[in-house]
Order: sequence, then structure tokens, then C-alpha cells
Amino acid sequence: MTAATQRRRTFWQILLFAAGLLVLTVISAGSVYLVNKARDDSKWVVHTIEAENQINALLLEIRRAESAARGYLLTQAADFQVDHDKAVAAIIPALDKLTRLTGDNPAQRQNIEKLSAAIETRLGQFVQEMDFSRRGEPEKAVALVRELASTDATAAIANVATVMIQEEERLFRLRTVNSDRSQTLAASMTGIGSGLVVLLALISIWLVRRSALARDDAEARLRDANVNLEAVVDERTADLREANNEIQRFAYIVSHDLRSPLVNIMGFTSELEELGGDIFRRIGGLTHVPADGPPLPGEAALEGPDKQLSADFSEALGFIKSSIAKMDRLISAILNLTREGRREFQPEKIDTRGLIEAIVSTLAHQAAEAQAEIHVAPLPDLVSDRLALEQIFSNLIDNAIKYLKAGAPGEIRIRGRTKLGYAIFEISDNGRGIDPKDHQRIFDLFRRAGTQDKPGQGIGLAHVRALVRRLGGTMSVSSELNTGSTFTITLPITWNASNRNVDQ
Amino acid sequence: MTQPVSIIMIEDDEGHARLIERNIRRSGVNNEIISFANGTDAMKHLFGADGSGLVQKGNALLILLDLNLPDMTGIDILKQIKENKYLKASPVVVLTTTDDSQEIKRCYELGCNVYITKPVNYENFANAIRQLGLFFSVIQVPPAAS
Repeated sequence: MTAATQRRRTFWQILLFAAGLLVLTVISAGSVYLVNKARDDSKWVVHTIEAENQINALLLEIRRAESAARGYLLTQAADFQVDHDKAVAAIIPALDKLTRLTGDNPAQRQNIEKLSAAIETRLGQFVQEMDFSRRGEPEKAVALVRELASTDATAAIANVATVMIQEEERLFRLRTVNSDRSQTLAASMTGIGSGLVVLLALISIWLVRRSALARDDAEARLRDANVNLEAVVDERTADLREANNEIQRFAYIVSHDLRSPLVNIMGFTSELEELGGDIFRRIGGLTHVPADGPPLPGEAALEGPDKQLSADFSEALGFIKSSIAKMDRLISAILNLTREGRREFQPEKIDTRGLIEAIVSTLAHQAAEAQAEIHVAPLPDLVSDRLALEQIFSNLIDNAIKYLKAGAPGEIRIRGRTKLGYAIFEISDNGRGIDPKDHQRIFDLFRRAGTQDKPGQGIGLAHVRALVRRLGGTMSVSSELNTGSTFTITLPITWNASNRNVDQ
Repeated sequence: MTQPVSIIMIEDDEGHARLIERNIRRSGVNNEIISFANGTDAMKHLFGADGSGLVQKGNALLILLDLNLPDMTGIDILKQIKENKYLKASPVVVLTTTDDSQEIKRCYELGCNVYITKPVNYENFANAIRQLGLFFSVIQVPPAAS
């Protein structure tokens, strides 16, 4: 899977999540709004019904008062009078309540005013009617009732009430429709929202499934890669070992073949030297020939230009010979290094401190000459190749003694510790130090750094590093000019013959 | 010695051959020296056209052998000489630039009589060859077995 695909997938997942969140929010807000609206609408519906009821209740009270008054008129029974009073008392509060209920509607307010006026008239008539009845003048009351039946007040009440009920019914129908609509809206909103959420959930599940599959696939590949890795590492190691062997053979053959012509050069130079000696002896003999006799036997000293010639000749040969000797040393060094690379290590248990103290005692003379003190701290023991360790430490300690600061007492410390299966050794001195720019160079073959006032070939550290590497370790240096140097060597505590040994 | 001993020198480097010859002569050895610059010619001379070594029957030989030859290794030649019934009694002196202990050991195992490393230092080289000359003068070279 490419990074671009991965990015796109992540983008889509985030987008989906955001969309889901948005939909949920909108649906929730919409639902809350619509439900509130529906409740409001229902309230208005209920309100309308209440108003209608109240109109009917008011009419009922009026009718009750009317019929009680008539009952009283007919029977003169006190019950009817009580009933009438109660009904009359209930009319005004009922009217007030109706006024309150319909206060929101201007049309109904006008109707209420008309109704109030009519009711007031009617109540006045009731009072008159009852007065006549109480005073025992039923004829007057009957006449009044008869008269009333034809007057406007009752009709007006009935008319206004009918108008009001019609108005309330109209409102009822309107509000019912409104309420239904908001409820339907709320329901569909919830429905669509749920559908969307389900859809988004399905898409999410699909995406999750897809990434789970991709992950399983990647895991499987990772497992395969891990299994292969071991094989690949083995293969590479074998390749490297092969390459290393190749280099070893190459170096060996080259150094060998370089030496062969050197034998000739040196041999014939020496022959030339001898020849030169012979020639100059003869020249000397010839120049001293007496005028009349045979050449003098034996050697004769050269004179003037002949002497100069002889000296030049010897000088030239001397340079050739010293150069050859130097080249021979270099080739020998390469040979030794490659030979060291071919030598099989013999791991054994080594008392490291004992080994280093033995080295220190062999170097005691040099140390005393350089006024150096060598301190060996307790060191971890190793299972490794004795000869290789001896060469490593003697080279480093020898270097430390060799490159101390002139005139200052030297102090060389050898410390050690262990960490994670490795032993770490530090050889530090207070000597002349190494410029950081030379830290790499000093490990190169035939390269040296700093003041060249000590004999040396530039081989020691290259050799030490090659040995450390073959022992499965690493080495490094930390140093500044004039502040001393610390060489750190990390070696496996137990050298395993199978891991780094060069196949022969 | 009923028959003069021939010195067979198998050495690809002409300069080395010349230096060896000079120093042998300086040590007073005057035997015939037959030089070969490659392995093939030397093998032909030693073993004859049929490769049996019969041609050398009854000859007393002393073989100087270099290990680094252009066409074969001296080790192979040494092995074949020591496996041949006519030649196996002939002393073989391995003279080479290699001072590798493994190789020296190998040569002695194969039956080489003397192993000499050619040092670059000419004095040492000359000394080694002169001592070899001394060795030649005292050694009893048997004729190739019949």
C-alpha cells in the first residue's frame, strides 16, 4: 500500500466521521426544535378545546340559572332559589375565565364584549324575575319571562356563543393541521436522521473492515519478512565473509608479488654496490700508476673528482637501499596484517587484569624512561583469543607511553566495566592528545598524526582495530590536542568462534 | 659420486635465478645448473614426454623450486616429484618469497628437504644461498632410483 493511498483513506475516514457528527448534531437540533414546536401546537389545540368547553360551560350555567329561576317560579321551593343563586354566582367567574382564555384572539375579544353585555342584561333580568317571584308576584314574573323570551338578550347570547364556538372550531381545525404537520415533520426528521446514521455506520464498518484487512495483510507480510530476514542476514554475512576473504587473499598475493621484484632490486643494487666498489678501486689504482711501472697492487685512495664520484655513487645506492628496506617493511606489515586476518582465534578464559599487568611489566622500562605511571583498575575477565588481546593492549599501552607530553610526568589508566554482554575497556593517558580531525586517520594503515618525532610505521592502530573487529568488538577514540587521549574498546565477554572467525 | 649432480632450478623470475646462480657459484659449487622459467617446461624435462619420469632414471638431480610460478604452483610440482618413483629420492629445496608458516609446513609435509625464504635483505639472501651451496657440497645426492 502506498503512502498516498493511506493518506487518502485516512482523509476519507476523518471526513466520514465529521459527516456523521454533523448529521447527528443537525438531527438532534432539528428534533428538539420540531418536538418543541409540536408540543406548542398541541398546547394550542388543547387551548382551543378548553376555550370551546368554557363557552359551553358558560352557556350551561346560564341555562341552569334560567331553569332554576323557572322552577322557583313554578314551585316557590327554596332549593331552586339556592340552585339559581349558585348558577348566577358561577356565571361571572366562568365569563372571566373565558375572557382570559380567548384574550389572545381579537375577534373573540369583540365577541366577549358583546357576550358580556348580553349576559349583564340577562343577569339584571334574573334579578328582576327572582324579586317578583320572592315578593309573591308570580304573574309579573311570568309576564317578564314571556317578555324576555322575545327579547334580544337570550338570542344575543345564543348567537354570540355560536359565533364564538364556530371561531374556536375554525382555530381547532387550523391548529390540529399545524400540530399534525409538526409531528410528521419531527417523525420524518428522526427517520431520515436514523437512516443517515445507519448509512454512515455501514460505510464506517466497511472502511474499518477494509483497513483491518489491509492490516492483516501487512502483518502477514511483516511475519514473512521477519522469517526471511534471518535468511537474508545469513546470506549477507556469507557474502561479506566471502568479500573479506577475497580482500585477504588479494592483499596477500599483492604483497607477495610486490616482494618478489624487491628481492631483485635489492639483490642487484647490492651487486652494483660491490661492482662500484671494484670499479672505483681500479680507478684509484690506475690514477696512481707510476709513469714507468705497472699499476700498483692493492687499494689506492681516490682523489679530487674521483672521490666525489664515488661518494655520489654510494649516496645514490644508499637511498635506493633505504627505500627498498622501507618498502620491504611496509609490505611485511601488510603481509602480517593479512596473516593476522587469516589466523584462527583460539578462545580461552583470560584473566584480563593479569594479562595487562604482564604487558605493563614488559613495558616498565619505557614507562620509567618516560616518567609514566600506569594504573590498572580491576577489569572484567573475558573468553577470547589471548594473542589478539595481548597485541591490542600492548599496542595501546605502548602508544600511550610513546606519545606522552615531553617533560611532564605521564599517567596512564586502564579501566574496565561490563554492559549487556560486552566488556568496555578504557585506556586513557594525559599525553599530547590527538586533533579531532585526525581521529579517523590514525586508524588507517601507514597513516600517523601529530608531531613526527617518534619512530613508527603507522601500523599499530590499524592492526588493533582489525583485531578488535575480528573479535566482534568496536573501538573509538576521544581526544583533544594537549589534553590526553582515551581509547575505548568494546569486546564481547564471550567470543563465539562461529560468529566472526574467518573461514580458512 | 659416480655421476655429476645436475641442479634443476625452477624459478620464473630471471633476476632471482641470476642472483641464486651467482651466489651458488660464489660458494664454490660448479655443478651444471639447468634453469626453467615456468612449470610446464620443468615438468617436461623432469618427467619426460610420457610423464613417467623414466628419462631421469639413473641421473642425480637436485631441485631448486620456487612456489609462485606463472602456470602452476610449486606445491604441485613438489607433490608430483615426491610421488614419482624415479624422482622421489632427489632433494628438493624450496626457495620462495613466502614465509607463511602454513605453507612451510605444507612443503615439509610433502617431502621438501629444505625451505628457504628469499629475504629482501641481500646479505641474508646471499648467506642463505651460500649455506645452501655448503649443503650441496656435503649432501649425498642419490641417483634417481631405478
